[in-house]
Amino acid sequence: MRRTLTPEEWTEVSQRIQDPALTLAQRAALRLRLFLERETISRDMAERIPARRTLEAFPDIYAPGEKERLTAGRYVHEQGRVCNISSDWDGVLRNGLLPRRAVCTPESAQCIDATLAYADRYCDADLSRALREGAQTFPEALKALRILHFCLWASNVYHNTLGRFDQYMLPYYRADVEAGRLSEDEALSWIEELFLSFNRDSDLYQGMQQGDNGQSLMLGGCDSEGDCAVNELTWLCLTASMNNRRIDPKINIRVNKSTPPELFVRCTELTRLGLGFPQYSNDDVVIPGLIDLGYSLKDARDYTVAACWEFIIPGVAMDIPNIGAVSLAGAVDSAIRMKLIESPDYETLFQSVCAELRRRADELESSIQPLWIEPAPFQSVLMADPTHDVSEGARYNNYGIHGTGLASAVDQLAAVRRVVFENQTYTARAFLGALANQFECAPELKSLLRSDTPKLGRDPECESVADTLLDAFANAWEGRRNERNGVFRPGTGSAMYYLWHASELGALADGHMPGEPLSANFSPSLLLSDAGPLSVVRTFARPGVRRVINGGPLTLELSDTVFRNDDALAKTAQLVRMFILLGGHQMQLNAVSRQALLDAQTKPDQYRQLIVRVWGWSGHFVQLDKSYQDQIIQRTGYTL
Amino acid sequence: MTGLVFDIEEFAVFDGPGIRTVVFLKGCPLRCAWCHNPEGLSPRPSRVKTIALCVECGTCRAVCPSPGGCTACGACVPVCPKNCLRIAGQSMMPQDVAARVLPNRALLEMAGGGVTFSGGEPLLQADFVIELTRALSTVHLCMETSGYAPEDVFTRAVDCMDLVIMDIKLADTREHRRWTGVGNELIKRNLEALKQSGKPFWIRIPMIPGVTDGEQNMRETAEFLRSARHLQKVELLRYNKAAGAKYAGLDMVYAPTFSEKEPPQTLVDIFKEANIPCAVL
Repeated sequence: MRRTLTPEEWTEVSQRIQDPALTLAQRAALRLRLFLERETISRDMAERIPARRTLEAFPDIYAPGEKERLTAGRYVHEQGRVCNISSDWDGVLRNGLLPRRAVCTPESAQCIDATLAYADRYCDADLSRALREGAQTFPEALKALRILHFCLWASNVYHNTLGRFDQYMLPYYRADVEAGRLSEDEALSWIEELFLSFNRDSDLYQGMQQGDNGQSLMLGGCDSEGDCAVNELTWLCLTASMNNRRIDPKINIRVNKSTPPELFVRCTELTRLGLGFPQYSNDDVVIPGLIDLGYSLKDARDYTVAACWEFIIPGVAMDIPNIGAVSLAGAVDSAIRMKLIESPDYETLFQSVCAELRRRADELESSIQPLWIEPAPFQSVLMADPTHDVSEGARYNNYGIHGTGLASAVDQLAAVRRVVFENQTYTARAFLGALANQFECAPELKSLLRSDTPKLGRDPECESVADTLLDAFANAWEGRRNERNGVFRPGTGSAMYYLWHASELGALADGHMPGEPLSANFSPSLLLSDAGPLSVVRTFARPGVRRVINGGPLTLELSDTVFRNDDALAKTAQLVRMFILLGGHQMQLNAVSRQALLDAQTKPDQYRQLIVRVWGWSGHFVQLDKSYQDQIIQRTGYTL
Repeated sequence: MTGLVFDIEEFAVFDGPGIRTVVFLKGCPLRCAWCHNPEGLSPRPSRVKTIALCVECGTCRAVCPSPGGCTACGACVPVCPKNCLRIAGQSMMPQDVAARVLPNRALLEMAGGGVTFSGGEPLLQADFVIELTRALSTVHLCMETSGYAPEDVFTRAVDCMDLVIMDIKLADTREHRRWTGVGNELIKRNLEALKQSGKPFWIRIPMIPGVTDGEQNMRETAEFLRSARHLQKVELLRYNKAAGAKYAGLDMVYAPTFSEKEPPQTLVDIFKEANIPCAVL
């Protein structure tokens, strides 16, 4: 059913879209219309939920070389398009597109018309009406969501998240059940079909790696009053995801100290399937953290996640939650190399680390402006305020900054403090000399640093180092405003920087060697030994995370054997719940067999279905680049 | 006093109630044909290699002070560029173990768990284990034992535990000797002592296809356990198909003479009929 445009079609369409007389917004609207007009309506008779992408690729809005000219001297974030935000699904499904058409820009209106014309080709009167005037039933709402989400992808924005599905779908579900139109089983089968539909085209939505497509969906949490919002759909969605066993949509769940323990058990049953989700976020930590950053109480209580784990607010935020990353491991390493000799004590060295973090913040801040983002007339339609193009901004325009290699940064500081300042086993000069020649002349120091100096996740003295470092990271960004008058949100995520930043590093004071990866996100060093999940859960529930609340989970690999029976599974659920009760902010779990991962590298054909959590999303292990595969295998080391 | 510990595993979910931290003690007097912890057999440190990671670069051989035979001196461990070597068996004092375990005491308590001593055979280092129970007296304590130890040693250790998990592998003495290398007379006497001790206990039976999983063995074992008032349950352990995985890394050979592939019988009902709660792990 898939097809590619013929060369003639491609040329014709390109010329029309790239007409120099049109603004970029006009081009984007025209592009969406031409794209959808050329889509083939193909519907399996058994399919109740429409839409399947048939065109593999479609021309861009820029003539050759034009984008480079337009963006010269500007900062282009990733593809230079709106991405990684969450739509106002609640409002659009409730009211339909027509009220928005009355107030939006002409380009947005064209996008609405193109979407409606596309949907009308399915000859489904309920769907057509739901899209225009709002959905009245659960099936209508699901079908309308699917069409809107499909068209969002077609409009060339990406990392299109699905938001708080169990909240915005609940009114339709309850109305249908009360009216006797829908049974729980029927609802489940509808949800399963919708969830499957997100896998139909996902191979065309590639991010950094296959699987990194941002189709994340949030469940649970609290309502606008702060009361528990877990409902019937929360449970049905978990069941649907378990029955489907597919990597899309990626399930996230908001939990807090009053979340019923049974929900943790149900979620752990999903983890057992090895899909790498659900990912947990803790309302008790995230909501106060977002309020500190300037989000209103009501909006903070409505948070969801972007493609991976960055906290965003549906419908009202044009945050760019992953605009840059600071190598925390690198900043500490620089401070050690430049300032250790002249530092009379540890505190002085730490002040140099703070200065280095500020210097890196200055550098990063000036490198990300002036920002270039292409207009997104269709995404604008789906915002709570559709009157202007969302690329220009929304209620929140904050920038998220990842912090990579936190564990290594902490371990480096703790090692230097012990070896150079406290025990004085090595002079500063000898220590730096060993780092410079990658321990060639001091193999015993390497061995000492790798296994015996304090490590976060095992040794208590690292905990206060982690808190002060997180604080220093927050301070380095506090008070800064971006050019859209938003704030900066430092965070504990790493995205793919755990490999990129690692490749810039030489030997480190924690014994890390060049070529070795850093740990992903908020996780212990890959060198950690003699510690297990209990120590890690306890020491990573850090009070310091409230000020670095951009998102970035503790990522834990558990052997698949701990899910073998119900009793063991309940204990695993308890481990997660303890992390939340202790004040951990975010967590994702992998159920893996180290042996299976090793086998999969040598016999990929036999492991095509093996799924792993990578940095904030789930993908098929054998489709990942080997460097990502190797890092995951190393992560399993401390689960044995 | 020190003991030889070959692993401390956090978050063990199959070794007693709740979430547990397991202290594995090195050395075992038995040689069960199905042992999946071969690094725990020798009472001395052993060198373990993760073969899947080894690239045969030879760096370890270049630094080896005793090429004639490994003494587990550990000289090769830090030089391996692939980090695939380790020494199983660290000499630890009770306070060293406590320092590893007790920071997580609140979590263990929250999860209704505690510490389990396993091995190897923990009673081979009974004095050390008893010292450990004093250092760890604030948490729930459990011991997993084969029951193969002098009777006075067994009783002294049992007294220090909150719960005992004991293996009964084979009821028949000759069969027991054939498959584990030792007879079971001592084990039976210790089982009687355990029954009389008033200490809560669980019994575990490994289900080795064609060896221990037969009806006769299960019935005779159930007979031993009939009317044991403090027996809380029987757990039947599935044969670990990956049992042989670690042998090559220890320069040992795994050569089971039973049929590994055959699915074991799970005769749970025999115990249920005797009014003993029974589950398969």
